[in-house]
Amino acid sequence: MLVPVGVLRLPRGPEGSSRGFNPNSPRFQALLGELMTVQGVRANLRQRYLQVLGAARGHPTRFYLRAGVQVDAVFSAADVDAVAFQVDGLRTPLGVQAAALLRYTDVLAYTFPLE
Amino acid sequence: MVWDVPWVSRGQLSRLCPLQLLVPPSLLAGGVGIVLATFLENEKVSISIVLGHAVQAVEILKEGDDEMKQRLSCIFAPEESKAYSPEELEKRKNILKTWLETNHIPVTEQGESGRTLCVAGVLTIDPPYGPEECSSSNEIILSRVQGLIQGYLEKQE
Repeated sequence: MLVPVGVLRLPRGPEGSSRGFNPNSPRFQALLGELMTVQGVRANLRQRYLQVLGAARGHPTRFYLRAGVQVDAVFSAADVDAVAFQVDGLRTPLGVQAAALLRYTDVLAYTFPLE
Repeated sequence: MVWDVPWVSRGQLSRLCPLQLLVPPSLLAGGVGIVLATFLENEKVSISIVLGHAVQAVEILKEGDDEMKQRLSCIFAPEESKAYSPEELEKRKNILKTWLETNHIPVTEQGESGRTLCVAGVLTIDPPYGPEECSSSNEIILSRVQGLIQGYLEKQE
């Protein structure tokens, strides 16, 4: 037996050609607009930081460790998970280490001259 | 913004404790660290990076002015664009943008001071706006646009 069902008329749907996902719609902006701008900012900052890392390669770098300890080395690489720095020619009181890893958590800051 | 932090002298950095920098916690929470540029007397620049876990507080003493922002943007400019002055780069960008628009290709300006061109929302072009400076995750669009720009640059000469 056919039962008549009420017709629910929804407001106008998304534009015909899109899938309904419009990043410029007021609804999207209200819900997620701020997230997108923050994401843009984060992306720019990340890009800058990666440029800094690229510029650091091969330069003599001073690493400031805890308890006022400073060591000099040639910056070689930093890993993506921010776990360690790989350096060449690490100058320690015990001598020069040809290659070494400095743990991220041990390093407070590092500085290098450009060119 | 990271680039609004003023210079820090090397003496301060080596002591580390009196560094007072302030950044919204949300930005720092996921952040790796803070990058400081120190401009030395002989036109050289020294870069210091303080790792996120070592920063206790950040306080902005003075906002950067436009000249400082310009200087900071130029530090890590790719080698090629150092061959062009900022005015020349701006001119190249505008000519390319106009040419793209004439060919009915949607293009917008993005990034700080609108340095980067964004084509159809999927491809970006950085200074000095040659085929090598195009970036996209879509290979087909990338090769198409690179070919277009290559042809356009050849016609210019």
